[in-house]
Formats: sequence, C-alpha cells, structure tokens
Amino acid sequence: MSVAVASGTRRTERYRVRPRAAGIARALGLFVASALTLVYLLGPVCWMVSSSFQNEAEITSVPPHWIPDHPTLRNFEAIVERPSRAVTYETRSKIDPVSGGYIPSTARNLLPAMGNSLIVAGAVVLLNLLAGVPAAYALAKIHFRGRASSIYFILSTRVVPDIALVVPFFLFIRKLGLLDNLISLIVTYLAITVPFTVFILVNYFEALPDELDKAARVDGCSRLQALLHVYLPLAVPSLVAVTLFAFLASWNEFLLALMFTQTIASQTVPIVVASFASDFTISFSFINAAGVIAVIPPVILALVFERYIVSGLTAGAVKG
Amino acid sequence: MARIRFDKVTKRYGGVVAVDRLDLEIRDKEFLVLLGPSGCGKSTTLNMIAGLEDLSDGDLYFDDEIVNFMPPHRRDVAMVFQSYALYPHKSVRDNIAFGLKMRRLPPDEIAARVREAAERLEIAHLLDRRPHQLSGGQRQRVALGRAMVRRPAVFLMDEPLSNLDAALRITMRAEIKQLHRTMGTTFVYVTHDQAEALTLADRIVVMKDGLVQQIGTPDEIYERPRNLFVASFLGNPPINLIEGRLVRRADGADFRRNGAAIRLSAAAVARLDALAEGRTLTLGVRPEDVHAPAAMAADCVLEGTVRSVLPVGSDQYLGIAFDDRELFFRVGKGLAHQPGETVTLALDTARLHWFDPETAEALAS
Repeated sequence: MSVAVASGTRRTERYRVRPRAAGIARALGLFVASALTLVYLLGPVCWMVSSSFQNEAEITSVPPHWIPDHPTLRNFEAIVERPSRAVTYETRSKIDPVSGGYIPSTARNLLPAMGNSLIVAGAVVLLNLLAGVPAAYALAKIHFRGRASSIYFILSTRVVPDIALVVPFFLFIRKLGLLDNLISLIVTYLAITVPFTVFILVNYFEALPDELDKAARVDGCSRLQALLHVYLPLAVPSLVAVTLFAFLASWNEFLLALMFTQTIASQTVPIVVASFASDFTISFSFINAAGVIAVIPPVILALVFERYIVSGLTAGAVKG
Repeated sequence: MARIRFDKVTKRYGGVVAVDRLDLEIRDKEFLVLLGPSGCGKSTTLNMIAGLEDLSDGDLYFDDEIVNFMPPHRRDVAMVFQSYALYPHKSVRDNIAFGLKMRRLPPDEIAARVREAAERLEIAHLLDRRPHQLSGGQRQRVALGRAMVRRPAVFLMDEPLSNLDAALRITMRAEIKQLHRTMGTTFVYVTHDQAEALTLADRIVVMKDGLVQQIGTPDEIYERPRNLFVASFLGNPPINLIEGRLVRRADGADFRRNGAAIRLSAAAVARLDALAEGRTLTLGVRPEDVHAPAAMAADCVLEGTVRSVLPVGSDQYLGIAFDDRELFFRVGKGLAHQPGETVTLALDTARLHWFDPETAEALAS
C-alpha cells in the first residue's frame, strides 16, 4: 500500500521541478560551447595584442608567452617615431637579430596610411548614406513602374566578382587620371557598397508602415521631409548597420587598393601592412603591433554603435 | 468651406480598376460615409481626396479648384488611419503638434491648441508618453487629436475604429459624431461596418468593385436599397432574399418557391407591374419586418416550420424553413417557440423589397 502511494506521488510530482541533473548538464553544455567559441574568436586577437608587446626573440620562443616576460613598446615606437630612425638595408645589419628589431622600411607609412583609410572609409560611408537613404525610401515607399526590377538590377551588379571588375575599373581610373589618388578608391568602393546599402535599407523601410508616410504627408511633410522627420529617426539601427558595413568594407579592401595605389599618397592600411611582410626580413611582433593599431578604428566604431548593431543587422535581414 | 467633387474620376493600378468613373459631390460640413467590402475602392477614394493617390482619369475639385495633382501637404485635410499611424519615436505631445510645427505656427499657439485638444479628448495626462505606452483607445484619441488641432477644412477617416474592441467602438462612434457637430467641417469616413455607417452618416455611398451602388441618407439606403448588393450589405442579420414566382389570386398573389408559398395581399403586389407575373423574382424581407401572429390584421402571411430558435438577449430570432431555405425573423421574447412547431408570421406589406434576379436591380421602391 505504502509503496503504491509513494509511486503515485512520484508520478504526479515528477515534472514539478526541473530535474537537477538535466539542469546542470544543460548549463555546463552551454558554458563549454560558449567558452570554445570565445577561445576560437578571441584567441588570435589576444595573441596579436600580447605579441605586439614582445620582441622578436620572445615571440618565437617555445612554449609561447601569453604574458610578455619583458614587455616592450619598441614596435609601437617604430610606427610613430620620426622617419630618420627608419631602418634601411644599410643600417639593419647593426641591429641585433636575436633581440629582434627588424623594423621594416615602410614602418613610418602606417600612420599616413591610416589617415588615407579613414578618409576613404569616411567618404564611402557618407556617400553611401547620401545615395542609399533616398534611393531606399523611393524604392520602398513610392510605387512606380519598374520598382521591383530596379531593386533586382541594383543587386545584380553585385553578382560579378570584384576580381572580374579589376581590369575595367583600372582602365577607367587610368583614363580619368585618378591612379594613385584617393578618389579612385572612393569611387570604386561606392560601386561595391551602395547596392548592399540600398538592399538593406529597402528591406528596413519596407517593414516600416506605409501609413506613417501617409500620415506625415497629410500632416504637411513633403516626401523629403517625411523621410527626414519620420523614417530616418526610426531607421537608426539600419543606418548603423549600413555605416558599419560600408566602413569595414572600405577599411579592409585589398585588391582594388593594390591596383590603384602606388605611393603613400593613396595607400591604405591593408596595403601598407601587407608590405611589412614583403620586406627584406619579417618582424612578426612588429606586424602584430601594426595590426593592433589597424583594428582600433573599427573597434571604436563597434563600441559606439554597439547598442544598435544586432537589431540593425537582423532588421536588415528579416522583414517585419 | 469645403465642397469636394469627383468628376468621372477613375483610378487604375496597372490593369486593375480600383475606382471606375466616380461622380460624387460631398457637401460642405457633411458627414459622408464610404461603405463597402474590402477592395471596393473606398479607401482609394479617400486617399485621392488626401492627395496620397494620383488620379488616372477625371477631375477632383475642392470647391471650384481642380486639385488633381496638388500634393497632400498643400491640401487643407487631416486624416485618421486604421492603424493610428502615430510616430513611434515622438511623444504624444509631439505627435499632436507635428502637423502644426510643419506649418510653422507660433509655439505658444501650438501649445495652446495641443492643450485644448488633449483636454477635450481626455488625454492631457498622457502628453509625455510614447505611443507604445498607450492602450488602443488612447492611441485612437491621440490620432483624433493630431487631426483635430489642425482645424482642417476636410477631416478624413480610414476605418478609424476597426482596431478597437466592441464596447469602445460604440463609445468612440458617439464621440466622433459629437466631434463632427462641434467642429463643423466636412467629414469623409471609410468603413466596411454597416452599423457604423448607419449611425454616423448624413449620407452613405455604398461601393462595390470600384462602382457606386447607391448614394443616399442612411434611411434611404436601408429602406429602399437600389439593388441586391446594397440590400444584403446593410442589416444584421442580413435581409432574407428568396427567389420565387408570383402567381396571381383573386385577392392578391402567392409568392411560390417550389412547394412553399407566401400569401400576399393585392396591396403588396400592386406596385409590381404585370410583367412581374410568372417571372422569377427575388423577394427581400428584413428580419425585423414581421409581426407576431397576434396582429393578424395584416394580410401578407408566411407559414412555416420553426427550424431553430436563437435568443439574443433582447429578442429572439426564429429560423423558419421555406422550401430548401431557412429564413430568419426577429420576434419578441414573449413568444415561446420550439423547433418543429409550425408558426404563422405576418409580413409588413409596406416593407417588402422586390428585385429582378437577372439584373440584381430593385423592381419597385
């Protein structure tokens, strides 16, 4: 009898609380998966930061030192110091190869290149917004003949891989006399980024109710005012997504920059950093220091817009 | 002062005709309701008044001025939308003030108007909230306020009550009617709810498939529908429509459908010409147009078997078998009927509606 009662109680109360073991296993599983993902994503970044403070001897030691024994700022100094201390073929032999210090001859180019990159990326972001926002508003809210095909046409320009465009772009840029000029990069990056910008914004604007547009226009707004007063404030997450996308695309672009730039007058960060690896000798610690500096602007941008990033990216991708 | 006149206005979307050669004059200070099922062109008509849709053909006049391509912000109209269309990023105060700011009114004038409207609509305590913090009814009031403060010549409303629950809808109906009286401006109101139209309108325009079916006062539309569509669209539960033939008798006629018959007096068929005899006709009888059998002085009589009894609180509806059809009639609660019983009901002679089933037009009204 008592056994029957006991088993009966057990059955009715079985799901009253979450089974303890299952709860722990679940939490543990999630923790391990998150930890592995974090290690995978952050490991290289941490190593880059750590090794940028090490000298060449320490960076190549086995086992690697995650925390430098003798932290040094030499790599960073080489980037910001005066050009007169730059190492050339003649002077490099005076440097002790064991302690490292193979500072490449183009080290002093990094900061000017960052300036170039910022100008290009900033201009591309600005022009993307100036062109993309009105275009997306028109495509999303004004019903005209050929609207859908316009959207597909804009997107279809991105079906062609960039590498296939390099030669036509090059001929075009040369004809315009824009080789080794920042404008060449701005123009070509716009051709690459604007279609995506329009696509992301069209999706976002389409999800905003048409009636808001109608209400604004009845309330006394012209089309442009409806866009400025009603849609732009609501579209901030998608504008952030577009800004980040255009900035990062321009900041990281390598192939076209390699073709169109020749001197530090127009070279961007990826070109200059790549040149460090093709110098007489390679200093990994120095390259990592350059990498640390090169990621600072995108990281700052991401921190500033952190609040909007996730909602902006998903809003661009998923309707409604 | 705002008279609106449609002169053969057509609106096409690609190959689809949304509004077909509409001729309509909306009088100054009138409360006009555009009524019809979804897709009948009523919202398109409203949007054309607002300037939100271009005309494909014809002319639209405000008073004597043609406004075909006048942009919305130049027209002196305000609009209330079904979804309220409040600006989510603005406070209630800024939502209401937005139209005035765009028209560059002085700030103290704006503040005064917003306060006045908010007090009238009893939303003064909500002015600093955001739309998402409001209930549906409160949002509706903000949308009304936003239109009110503009003091427009024409007030446009696109199904403004559809998103509210039933009880609130009745209250807001009364308030909108009151608003029309005090504002003294032209109201154009779109709805698919016939009860709303009958309550609010000075005149109703019934539309279907882009064509006007009938224009008239609520009484005209309800009492003398011009065709089968108008007859069946207004009234809840809907009018009973029966197809049958008229067979003359010495003292009147029988309306027969196979074995079943309604006995009609001479007076009831007097309005039908001789042609009607022997042809198939459609007879319309509204559920409320019957009398209890006690009042047997009436001379149009329907006899039938009760198939269902549906009490609705104040009254009850009887479902009565008529040939293969079931007709519904409203009778007092006092009558106790059971399914299966035979009842005799007297029809209101003056309120029978006759239609030609082929053209769907009313035969005599």
